[in-house]
Amino acid sequence: MSLVLALCTALLFSLGTWLLLQRRLTRIIIGLGLIGHGANLLLLLSGGRRGVAPFIGQIGERTPADPMPQALALTAIVIAFGVTAFLLALAYRSWQLTGDDLVEDDLEDRRIAATRSTASDEEVADQRELSAAEAALESSTGGAAPLEEAE
Amino acid sequence: MMRVLLPLPVVLPLFAAGCSMAAARRRWLQRLIGIAALSACVAAAVAILLHADREGPAAAFMGGWDAPVGISLVADRLTGLMLVVAAPVLLAVLVFATGQPGTEKEQPAFHPVYLVLAAGINLSFLTGDLFNLFVAFEMMLTASYVLITIGGRRDQVRTGMTYVVINLIASTLLVATIGLLYAATGTVNMADLAGRIGHLPGGVRVAFALLLFVVFGIKAAVFPLFFWLPDSYPSAPTAVTAVFAGLLTKVGVYCLIRTQTLMVAPGDRPIGFMLAIAALTMVVGVLGAIAQNDIKRILSFHIVSQIGYMVLGIALFSVAGLAAAMLYLVNQIVLKSTLLLTAGIVDHAAGSSRLAEVGGLARRHPIVGWLFLLPALSLAGIPPLSGFVAKLSVIDAGFADHAWIAVGVAIAVSILTLYSMTKIWGGAFWGEVEVVAEPSDAMSRRYGATAPMLASTAALVVLSLALAVFAGPLLELCQRAAADLLSPTAYISAVLP
Amino acid sequence: MLIALVMAPLALGLALLAGGRALGRRSFAVAAVAPFAVLVAAAASAGRVLDERPLTASLGWVPALDLSIDLRLDGFSLLFVLLVAGIGTLVQLYAGRYFGAEREGLHRLAGLLLVFTAAMLGLVSAASLLTLFVAWELTSITSYLLIGWTDGDPKARASALQALLTTGLGGLAMLGGFVLIGQAAGTYDLAALAAHPPTGTVVEVGLLLVLVGAFTKSAQFPFSAWLPGAMVAPTPVSAFLHSATMVKAGVYLIARLAPIFAEQGAWRPVVLAVGSLTMLTGGWRALRQYDLKRILAYGTVSQLGFLVVLFGAGFPEATAAGVVVLLAHALFKAGLFLVVGVVDHQAHTRDIRRLGRYGPGWAGPMAAAVICGASMAGLPPLIGFLGKESAYDAFLHGDIAGGGVVLAVLVGGSVLTFAYTARLLAGAFRPGVWTEGIAEDAEAAIDPPPAPRWSFWAPAGLLATLTVLLGLVPGLASKLVDVAAHDLDPSGEHVHLALWHGLNPALALSALTVGLGVLLVVGGAVLARLQQRLPDTAWGEQAFLGAMRGLNRLADRSTGLFQSGSLPVYIGVILLTAVVVPGWALLQAPMPDLPPLVSGPGDWAAAALLVGGGIAAVVVKHRMAAVLCLGAVGYGMALVFALQGAPDLALTQVCVDTIGAVVFVLVLRHLPTWFADVPSRVSQASRLAVSAAVGVFVFAFILVAVGVRVDPTISTEFIARAYEEGGGRNVVNVVLVDIRGFDTMGEITVLAVAAMGVYALARLSRRDRRASTPGASR
Repeated sequence: MSLVLALCTALLFSLGTWLLLQRRLTRIIIGLGLIGHGANLLLLLSGGRRGVAPFIGQIGERTPADPMPQALALTAIVIAFGVTAFLLALAYRSWQLTGDDLVEDDLEDRRIAATRSTASDEEVADQRELSAAEAALESSTGGAAPLEEAE
Repeated sequence: MMRVLLPLPVVLPLFAAGCSMAAARRRWLQRLIGIAALSACVAAAVAILLHADREGPAAAFMGGWDAPVGISLVADRLTGLMLVVAAPVLLAVLVFATGQPGTEKEQPAFHPVYLVLAAGINLSFLTGDLFNLFVAFEMMLTASYVLITIGGRRDQVRTGMTYVVINLIASTLLVATIGLLYAATGTVNMADLAGRIGHLPGGVRVAFALLLFVVFGIKAAVFPLFFWLPDSYPSAPTAVTAVFAGLLTKVGVYCLIRTQTLMVAPGDRPIGFMLAIAALTMVVGVLGAIAQNDIKRILSFHIVSQIGYMVLGIALFSVAGLAAAMLYLVNQIVLKSTLLLTAGIVDHAAGSSRLAEVGGLARRHPIVGWLFLLPALSLAGIPPLSGFVAKLSVIDAGFADHAWIAVGVAIAVSILTLYSMTKIWGGAFWGEVEVVAEPSDAMSRRYGATAPMLASTAALVVLSLALAVFAGPLLELCQRAAADLLSPTAYISAVLP
Repeated sequence: MLIALVMAPLALGLALLAGGRALGRRSFAVAAVAPFAVLVAAAASAGRVLDERPLTASLGWVPALDLSIDLRLDGFSLLFVLLVAGIGTLVQLYAGRYFGAEREGLHRLAGLLLVFTAAMLGLVSAASLLTLFVAWELTSITSYLLIGWTDGDPKARASALQALLTTGLGGLAMLGGFVLIGQAAGTYDLAALAAHPPTGTVVEVGLLLVLVGAFTKSAQFPFSAWLPGAMVAPTPVSAFLHSATMVKAGVYLIARLAPIFAEQGAWRPVVLAVGSLTMLTGGWRALRQYDLKRILAYGTVSQLGFLVVLFGAGFPEATAAGVVVLLAHALFKAGLFLVVGVVDHQAHTRDIRRLGRYGPGWAGPMAAAVICGASMAGLPPLIGFLGKESAYDAFLHGDIAGGGVVLAVLVGGSVLTFAYTARLLAGAFRPGVWTEGIAEDAEAAIDPPPAPRWSFWAPAGLLATLTVLLGLVPGLASKLVDVAAHDLDPSGEHVHLALWHGLNPALALSALTVGLGVLLVVGGAVLARLQQRLPDTAWGEQAFLGAMRGLNRLADRSTGLFQSGSLPVYIGVILLTAVVVPGWALLQAPMPDLPPLVSGPGDWAAAALLVGGGIAAVVVKHRMAAVLCLGAVGYGMALVFALQGAPDLALTQVCVDTIGAVVFVLVLRHLPTWFADVPSRVSQASRLAVSAAVGVFVFAFILVAVGVRVDPTISTEFIARAYEEGGGRNVVNVVLVDIRGFDTMGEITVLAVAAMGVYALARLSRRDRRASTPGASR
């Protein structure tokens, strides 16, 4: 554990975040890689003081490094590798289909955000018809047809 | 005996996944293996729940290494309940998938990956070790990544991307949290953490509580962390969406319950914050549902809104509140999966799930109408269905603790939930018959869907009716589980004797 | 037995819904069996109930919430059960004559009517507030399905929805109120509440919420709009639900609660005010209608207001009057609806401007209508007159604040009732009364409709006969009314119904009512002009439409704001939340001791590689180069691992990093070499802020976390036991393979699944590439 390494961890997280907050998929993947590295470094630093490699019989009088975060980090690295490989395959497919590596906005969300009227809602349209029919029934002009057929 | 029983819900599906991979060319064999494995899981889950209810929490130590050195699997009443509810849903959805044209038939990878998903879900419920929880999540998530993109269509790839990236970030945050917890306490075993966190200074404890809440909140889709869900769930194949909707977010809620009760001391619990989040989640979720015009998207927003109710129950941190949250959880797992399966049937029978494009389905396929109406009314909280009992228990617990505003919001959101359900009913099931495309097989043209699709959905509807009839004993079980959670000495002594 | 009373119609109804398609129109005859059986059973137990020994039954459900199906049949419930079952039977038989035989889906209508009947029976015999709520919501849902039965008509769908949302909103408020009251009292049982009523602010708020529920269900002001709209339903449905039974549910609830709670809080003023307003506005609007069913609908609204005033006042004389009026209203309103249905069916119109000419054979239905109408208008010697008299009497002698005002309202409302009754009867049966808007030629008025079959108007005739009978021989119903009123409010005197009480102020008021009523009828034209001049009071319907539009617009705005659809925004919000929320708590943590600057010289080298590579990866615009910078960062990590005493980790990192970089570069081959700038929804400033926040948070937390540990790590155990128990000298290996082997199993599974996913996607890509021309995968 040292101040420099802690700063590195923080910096890796920051840089990774910076890359994540934009649209180019390549950069997003790089950003994910950076924060993944940051997390692994954090795991290592959580072990506390630096020490010698924990091999039984070679430690002697010195303090061994903490083996637990090492094991955890190793597992995390391998898992991240597997998932990143999948993500890259996905990215490749996306590039094949769209020709570019932009992460597009969700179409349905944009459509709803742009909606100004409630014209597309069926039940509002139904309700309007009902209101109109009721108003017609009460007006003194015109014999409106009954609201319901009897047979 | 528990040493053998506890790992079964994890090991059986994994083993079956391996066999399924080997049988890649024979679809019938894959189906057989899958259904057999998941049925065995149902039996194992019931056995675990019965044991936990009668004898209290039990632990199994993997590799023979005792806690906190090794990984332990722990089953208390909550775990047992979750396993028992998840298992039949996983089984029913698999049966549904075998009946649906498309993914399952075309992709040999479907069955093995689905079984790994099941194993991951079960492990999340069973594990007593925080890093193992991370591994379980990764199993579950990676399987879900594959399932959500398995068709390779453009919209699937796009939404799959969002899903994968967000969950990767969440996973990284979880790793970071585990690292920080290890740095501060020196252990990752949950029971051990419960004791050691108490040795930390106050501000740090609260910071951890909030960090754990946020990290699992992303998975559980609370406000403001849920936006990825409605964008990614609807475009997956139906069976996949049903499992995601019913189970994946609920794993997040389970983790919230577990961590906040086990690892956070009563004085450090962020109660006001959680109540506010619950209210916001309920409201923003249901407003989102009302704005949509596609059945699957409406239901996706409902997932979010209903999570708010569960967080409300948890935030009360009373026996009544936690029991209500658990009852709600059980109900939601069954109801949400059923509703999404029905949406898939609508899609199959009419060619689309957009409300403007379909209509009159109740008249054309009355069975499908019933399969939607019953779970929809239950979700909206109409008595005497099970959703009503769950809602009443939340209101009861909330008022007993004087959480007036939050319960008021819950009641108001209830009518809006009913409104959005009638939107679906009025738009797709009433009115003139309109379809976009007819299905190709005779059974679907007559009844709406193929036999496996209808049978599996009907089985889940029957399960939800059973939840209503047996709501009494179920709630009492939840109360016993809640009491356990609030004083976790039994859990801890099972793991660390 | 009591449970069977409710379950029998439910079971038969569900059976009809599921499998009655083959029966067609005969479903109604089958369905009528259930309410008839209930009627007989209820009559058989009447002896016991009228002897002040109520029947009870209880079915446990969720004891933990005090939720169970508790039923009690006392006098008041018996009255309702007789009405619901009796009118239910008549309506089923009537429906069998109303619809043409080829009409589709009639079994569904019969089944739904039965399910509704069961729910209504449960409601009126509920002994516990929660049981009542269960039945209440069931009636709302069945009403929704019944109104929307003609689901092809958008107006039917719309009014079904309006009814459901209005009553549903009220119902939920009512549930909140019930829980508040129940928790304050410790029980939901009505009898227990009556014995020991709870008090307090919570209870008062709860009561107001309960009133909202009752008002929405009984179409009180300002929630009346849904009832006239519900007239799109077929007449049998309107006759049953929306005149005689469902809308009375709110009145039932008020009747049960008023004697217990009338003195508390704002109950009495609110109920009297709302009831009075409803009675007057309902009657006023009835006079504007041209559609027979709508006249009846508004009339029902007005009468419900009347009932709310009577029952809600909470003193025994008014309660007793309420019981009489309730009985009278059920009989005459259902009767009138049935006759209007006959007219509509035969003449194919309900417009009073076009009706009026009848041939022979209409004497029966006309007589029935006139009798029921006269009862509504409060003319002797009919039971409606008895009811009105009791009502006037109660408020003349009753001793409550504002009693005089209420009395004036009752008189005014009765005058309006007289007037719209006349409008109804004249409009239906006298030709040429209203002609404005219609051309003067003979074609405007329709031909005389064919006479209805005897069995068609017989149910209405039966109801009219009962009206006369009970009016002339009040003793028949007197005992029932007495016990009912007494069960509601045991403090009252016994009720003796009689036609003639001597010359008293009540009689004078009745005479006044009739006189003013006649005046109003005579001056009809003047009234019509006055109504045209005044602003339209149809704001209820407009309000609902407006609320619906507003809600949808709010939903669109809110969703548009939060659900932006943009991945960077989502990521930003998530990270910001993850940092700010715990970070705020971290500010209260103690300042940590700072660790040494470096733990060895290698730290500087490693840091240089990490920071340099990282910054380069961010800044560089060349795609491949950026990836290689990421690789450099990975190698830096490996260096750190090696220096910190983690050789296994370093080895793994080097392998993974190398393979990863190779794969990344291979995949990147098909993309442009340089990054082009793309506009994003997230501004540079926000990006900077979020990134900086994340960095600061991580830095602070890691220092604090390492600084506060007091417990020994579990890894000391690892080192102690790895060789003896694990059999290996490399502790990390032992951990991975043995101690935490379960994790490794999961890790391998993840790799396998990822591989399957990659294979599936790659297969697709290869297939696509082979199928298309080379230009497609640019």
